[in-house]
Amino acid sequence: MSFRWKREEAPAGAAERADPASAGFSDQLIAVLPRLRRFARGLAGAPADADDLVQAACERALARAYQFEEGTRFDSWMFRIVQTIWIDQLRAREVRKEDGDVAEERLGSDAAVRRIEARLALAEVRQAVQLLPPDQRTVLMLVTVEGLSYKEAAVVADVPVGTIMSRLARARTALQRHLDAGGGIRRSGNNAAAQ
Amino acid sequence: MQRHSDEALVAYLDGELDADERRHVEAWLEADPAVRDRLTALAQSGDLVRGAYADIVAEPVPARLIAAARGVSESAPGAPQEAEILVLKRPGWAALPLRNRRWQIGLAAAAGLFGVIFGGAGTYLGMSMLNPANPALEHRLAALAANNTWLDNAAGYYKLSVSAGDTMLIDVPASNDPQEALQKISQSLPQQVRVPDLKPWGLTFRGARLVVVEGRPAAELVYVTDNKAIGPLTLVIGASKQPDIPPTFDRRQDVNLLYWRHHERAYALVGQTDIGYLWGIANDIAWQLDAI
Repeated sequence: MSFRWKREEAPAGAAERADPASAGFSDQLIAVLPRLRRFARGLAGAPADADDLVQAACERALARAYQFEEGTRFDSWMFRIVQTIWIDQLRAREVRKEDGDVAEERLGSDAAVRRIEARLALAEVRQAVQLLPPDQRTVLMLVTVEGLSYKEAAVVADVPVGTIMSRLARARTALQRHLDAGGGIRRSGNNAAAQ
Repeated sequence: MQRHSDEALVAYLDGELDADERRHVEAWLEADPAVRDRLTALAQSGDLVRGAYADIVAEPVPARLIAAARGVSESAPGAPQEAEILVLKRPGWAALPLRNRRWQIGLAAAAGLFGVIFGGAGTYLGMSMLNPANPALEHRLAALAANNTWLDNAAGYYKLSVSAGDTMLIDVPASNDPQEALQKISQSLPQQVRVPDLKPWGLTFRGARLVVVEGRPAAELVYVTDNKAIGPLTLVIGASKQPDIPPTFDRRQDVNLLYWRHHERAYALVGQTDIGYLWGIANDIAWQLDAI
């Protein structure tokens, strides 16, 4: 386990402390902001939504700084906060889908838009990631993009390592399927070559 | 079972299998070309995802997120002043000790490196539009010339710092009492100077040097790091009579500059690192110094 949550309650006065966090804590937070933004972008999709998510995570981290245990991985702790807030937001919006329930109807629903995006390979991959169920998307971002080990990702997502493995495999195969179905990088490359 | 197969292949790619499991998968790959194709496809999808999100970490971090990380609303009044504040006095220019005239040598060397270059627009204005009867144009040209000159100088000073390496001459070493030392050297500077804390970016403040901005003395704050991909950075802060401008990117040879003016101060963040990284740091500096 890469980090542990402190189980004890907040120390007296923590909630209303005048100094919201030490400079060192904020320094750690700033240092990890670029990766938090990337992780949030993978979860939320839209840049503005992702930054809102990161901002909310910063505020929550500062409010609960006492829960972080020195010597453990700060980035994993922050990833978990981001993920938790995002899941809460999804539940609030009632748009969270069951694991494996892919929004197939969104694939190729707008041919004109798809043709434009087919020329933007990176945007297309990001769009394909957004089609994954939230659980798979989270694991894909944590392991494949952020480079966490399966154990570390299991702690962040609060699931067994075996679940990480299965979700990741499904995410990778589904992603490949989406890219193929949507025209994918391959077709984009062919078009470019033809032109 | 396909699902089990995919799990094993993905875990193999991720280096998450133990030795026995790895041998098992490798034997499987050896025996079945279709599995090898499957592995290649999965590896490709992983590369695509990593590539699709690779650039985001180089994007400038919005100031509101830096403010949030510091526990202060971006628009909240009374933001904490963590940066050191120096109240500077300005004695007669000739009163500078000889030791502190090192910037003059540096300026000459900087000019040798870069020359006093006017950009294409400036050249156009200078050659075809400069007209004594048109004060507005003269003013624009003067502003443009000053802008180019001080950016040339900022880049030149930076190059001098880089080439000097560990032998770089620092007027105010960070290891000494910064308050006392900075006050001593900055007596020639006409404005307050704060020293932003850039430790979150992996940068250590090494010290300050005295330089020139728009013909007036200014501070060049030198930050160093062990990360050669980032390299040293300098932040030039000086007084300015020019109007405010938003952060603007410019380049001198292999040196990137991000400069802006705010409330009669000119700032230039100089380095050879990625522009996105500079943007992120500039946002943090602006927040710390309330420069924008």
